[in-house]
Amino acid sequence: MAAFIGFSLQRAWQGYWRNGLMSLAATASMTLMLVLLSGLFILLSGLDATLNYVESKVEVVAYLADSASLDEINALQADLQALPEIAGVSYVSKEQALKDFQARQPEVADLVAALDENPLPASFEIRLHDPADYLDVATYLREQPIVDSVQDIKKTVGQMVAVIGLLRTVGVVVLLVVGLTVLFIIVNAIRLALVARAQEIEIMRLVGASDAFIRWPFIFEGALVGLFGALITIGLLWLAQDRLAGALADFFAVLPVQASAMVGQNVALIVLPTGIGIGVLGSYVSVRSYLSR
Amino acid sequence: MSSADTEPAPADGDDQVAEEPPRARRSGPARRRGSFTLTVEGAPTLALRGVTMTYPNGKSALRDVSLTVAPGDFVFLVGPSGAGKSTLIKLLIREALATRGRVILEGRDLARLNRGEVPQIRRRIGIVFQDFKLLTEKTVRENVAFALEVTGTPRRQIDPAVDRVLRVVGLSGQADQKPAELSGGEQQRTAIARALVHDPHIIIADEPTGNLDPLISWEIIQLLLRINDMGVTVLMATHNAEVVTALRKRVVGLENGRVVRDEMGAAYHRED
Repeated sequence: MAAFIGFSLQRAWQGYWRNGLMSLAATASMTLMLVLLSGLFILLSGLDATLNYVESKVEVVAYLADSASLDEINALQADLQALPEIAGVSYVSKEQALKDFQARQPEVADLVAALDENPLPASFEIRLHDPADYLDVATYLREQPIVDSVQDIKKTVGQMVAVIGLLRTVGVVVLLVVGLTVLFIIVNAIRLALVARAQEIEIMRLVGASDAFIRWPFIFEGALVGLFGALITIGLLWLAQDRLAGALADFFAVLPVQASAMVGQNVALIVLPTGIGIGVLGSYVSVRSYLSR
Repeated sequence: MSSADTEPAPADGDDQVAEEPPRARRSGPARRRGSFTLTVEGAPTLALRGVTMTYPNGKSALRDVSLTVAPGDFVFLVGPSGAGKSTLIKLLIREALATRGRVILEGRDLARLNRGEVPQIRRRIGIVFQDFKLLTEKTVRENVAFALEVTGTPRRQIDPAVDRVLRVVGLSGQADQKPAELSGGEQQRTAIARALVHDPHIIIADEPTGNLDPLISWEIIQLLLRINDMGVTVLMATHNAEVVTALRKRVVGLENGRVVRDEMGAAYHRED
């Protein structure tokens, strides 16, 4: 058994490097697929977390007219706090809204700064005891003269869910297509490896090598493509970690969580088995079709 | 523990005297240590019984061939190209299965082997080809060791076994050269060493001198004779009339897929 594993690993390793260009192509496409997979995973986890957070925090946003005076605003806040349906009210001033926006969208911060006046309205973020009371509260808010418009976060969340769902579907389809391409490339890479070793395989058969000795080195070679692809992907993500975490923090500004710590481990747990799994599957298909002749 | 296990069997003649099978038997471990001796009596090393081989395209390569080779025999298989020699060898090494009839090697019907048994039986056959089939990027030693590596032989057993067969074929001095650095005769001797390294009971050689000049051919034949003297059965397909006629061994002639002659001490061409 030790002789078998040693032999298979050694031959897989030799085969991988001897088959240089094709191994490189297979590993590169494997890496591409795994990076896409990680990207989609990170994005979706972030969006999911954002969604949960937003959902738990705010339910109704009332945008206030710029003409509203501070007294009017204070009076309305007091009225709202007195309403039994309302669990909490927080005031976001125009200045605060602009700051939040600039923090969330740093790339347009300069553009916003160039504006003559702050275009963002002040608002009340309101939490309800029971989301079913939304209509009553919304109607009450719309009756207030200083309230410009009322936004139902539930509706926004519903739209977000639809977008995330679409993103997930598109992502999965793209990944499937890329995954199949990678599988195809590996099947071909291993096929070339088999052809390159055709004489060795013939001799192995003639001297009485068992099927396992003939097949497993190639399966291991496919697994190596997956392993290298996964390690490169993890390495790339690790290198990009800081920048990525920064980008994520900006993107999901409302989140109090550390995005990279959250997904880093999970990405490794997804990328390694996926890479090795596709590598093994591709080489298995190739070996099976080639050697069963 | 049931008493049946320990009680002596009734002494009425049914008792199992654990007899060694009558065919040639060699103890594996003893042979690993380097002795080629074996007893050559009893059942044949190989036997063909009414073997017919028809290829899928309808071409019939062998027709009703029967042949028995006893352990320790040296047999020349002769006949014109297309007579069926290569097909016969393919059947013996189970590269192909007979359409009809039985091919028996070491008491096993080759058609009845399951997948896992085919490699086992091939380890007991040494196969030598006209084109040597050596791996060009490996040295002589590595080429021979390869046969053991791919059959899961522990590393510590490989080196002594390789050294031993390299001595037998006289290539100890060239062990670290690659095939391209060797003469044709040396390449063929490397192939023979590889065929020997599993301690086969039979060497099957398909035109082993076909690519070699006459002098080198003799060298190879001498080597095969020496291996035969050690008790290994040799079956050699050849067109080399000079060698066959000079050696006066058993000659089996094939023509159009049929055995047309099977003579002891015969020449390449029929002499009657």
